[in-house]
Amino acid sequence: MTQIPPVHRLIALQSCRFILRERTASVLGAMFVVLVMISAWLGWSATDTTNRIYLDAAVFLKAAGQTVPTNPVLDISPLSLMRNMAVYVSLIGVLAAIVIGNRLVASERKAGVLPLYGARPIERSAFAMGKLLALGLSVGVLAAIAGVVGFVTFLLLPNVPVSPQQWLQFGGFFVLSAVYLLLFGALAMGCAAMAQSESVGLLIPVTLWLAVTFILPQITANLNPTAAINPVAALADAPHTAYFQWVGWALAPISVADCYKFGAARFLDMAQAPASGFYMVWLGVVAVAAMAFARHALTNIDMTNGGFDA
Amino acid sequence: MRMQFDPAIDGVGVKCKGRRWVGLITQGAAQMAHNALELTNLTQRFQNHTAVDGLTLSIKPGEVFGFLGHNGAGKTTTIQMLTTLAKPVAGTAKIAGFDLIKDPMGVRRNIGYVPENVRLYDNLSAYETLMYFAQLSQIDSPAKRVIETLEILDSVGLARGRVGGFSKGMRQRIGLAQAILHRPQVLFLDEPTSGLDPMGIKLLRDLILRLNRDFGMTIFMNTHLISEIAKTCTSIGVLSHGKLVFHDRMEVITEKYGDDSKLEALYLSLEPSVTGRSAA
Repeated sequence: MTQIPPVHRLIALQSCRFILRERTASVLGAMFVVLVMISAWLGWSATDTTNRIYLDAAVFLKAAGQTVPTNPVLDISPLSLMRNMAVYVSLIGVLAAIVIGNRLVASERKAGVLPLYGARPIERSAFAMGKLLALGLSVGVLAAIAGVVGFVTFLLLPNVPVSPQQWLQFGGFFVLSAVYLLLFGALAMGCAAMAQSESVGLLIPVTLWLAVTFILPQITANLNPTAAINPVAALADAPHTAYFQWVGWALAPISVADCYKFGAARFLDMAQAPASGFYMVWLGVVAVAAMAFARHALTNIDMTNGGFDA
Repeated sequence: MRMQFDPAIDGVGVKCKGRRWVGLITQGAAQMAHNALELTNLTQRFQNHTAVDGLTLSIKPGEVFGFLGHNGAGKTTTIQMLTTLAKPVAGTAKIAGFDLIKDPMGVRRNIGYVPENVRLYDNLSAYETLMYFAQLSQIDSPAKRVIETLEILDSVGLARGRVGGFSKGMRQRIGLAQAILHRPQVLFLDEPTSGLDPMGIKLLRDLILRLNRDFGMTIFMNTHLISEIAKTCTSIGVLSHGKLVFHDRMEVITEKYGDDSKLEALYLSLEPSVTGRSAA
């Protein structure tokens, strides 16, 4: 007798296989990985150049009998070399997560296979669990690949020692990134399950992502859009006016981009990183809420024909 | 074909001479004391429109039931309720002895469903598709069951082909295969011959009859084709604007009305939307 895996695991594996064959999701996932590699290379290249200049200068200074200053590369945390990764997670990573979350549900609705699930002895909750597991696996793989790329980069960097504490922080950054991606992926999944049309199911999470990433920071902290995604604290504080104080306070619960930015800054040892404990906990709470929303939408998905309205 | 009791499997094995496959009818199916389907006042409403209006109907085990009706009569809505895809707003039904409302999982374990224009994963092969659905149905030795099922449907040649490249008839056969993988007691077919050419219709009809004969499956089939009803069904029901306006056994109908053309006249007489009058 063959041991049959649990239903939710079967659905998750089939969904992951399906996503691998989905061109849009695969292309965005591959783009994210390539950009992570580029960001690692840029960090490595910048450090290596600084290091070489220092070594040449050190030889020259020694020959001239002058004091050799300490290597500037050693003055900054090696983790901050990976700061561009946070930008790519906020941009292309989230977009990839949204597309993956959407396709995991929308492509099956479009394919019209949902009645074949609905008429089988499968609990709706197992179906929802399978889809969420597939999202977790896809997003986890994306974050893990980015982590491995960063890890290899550090190993290749000359004269950049990473302490055990910093390795832990580095791992923490990717866990935080995975939670952030999961949040938007789950949101997209829930919208794809509830929306009447395929395009609306994709537009809603994309609009929310754009709003929390680019619009909200302008309203709450007067940040320009480029600064909004950068994990460096704003060079200037938000204007000390009642408007920014109250709007910042009122919209803080949905400013998940800020939560991620502050958390990433703390993990990557960025200068001026604000206290991030509360933000990270809040990001986790919002991610759990997004998954609960996705689970509810998937448990109640209409399986009579499953398709979108024409 | 011979039937034999096998205590090891607590049921009745079905072996066909000259064939490799061995089917299995559970004892419940072989000795089903209750009706295969027992619908009581089943009702479905969408906003102000009553799609199915107090449908009450009994179908005996082993019957091939043809459900006739005009477009929008409520046939598909009825199947969606009976397959637990949609909840009725009133009434209930027992399928293979399981209550639709109280025990939907029990119902699902005992039914197979082939939707109209069956759609499958285009990027999987027929074998991968069936393996997936066999595993979802928690069938022991799914690979063996998939091959047996393909053999039953004379479709082993389709196993390696990608479903996306299949003709409508081939898809319909794989759709039928996924529905009978777990050897259900009741098989629901929604317009199974829709869009098929005459050869495809004949192949499908033969398969349905074989499933009914060899496995004792009760078949509930929505259709428009009166000629198919006459060749396939043992009883028919006619639904008009959500109400059951006719239900009888085929042998009685044939005795009363004779050939297909008379049957067509009977059907049209029951259709107020077509003729402007209904059977009194």
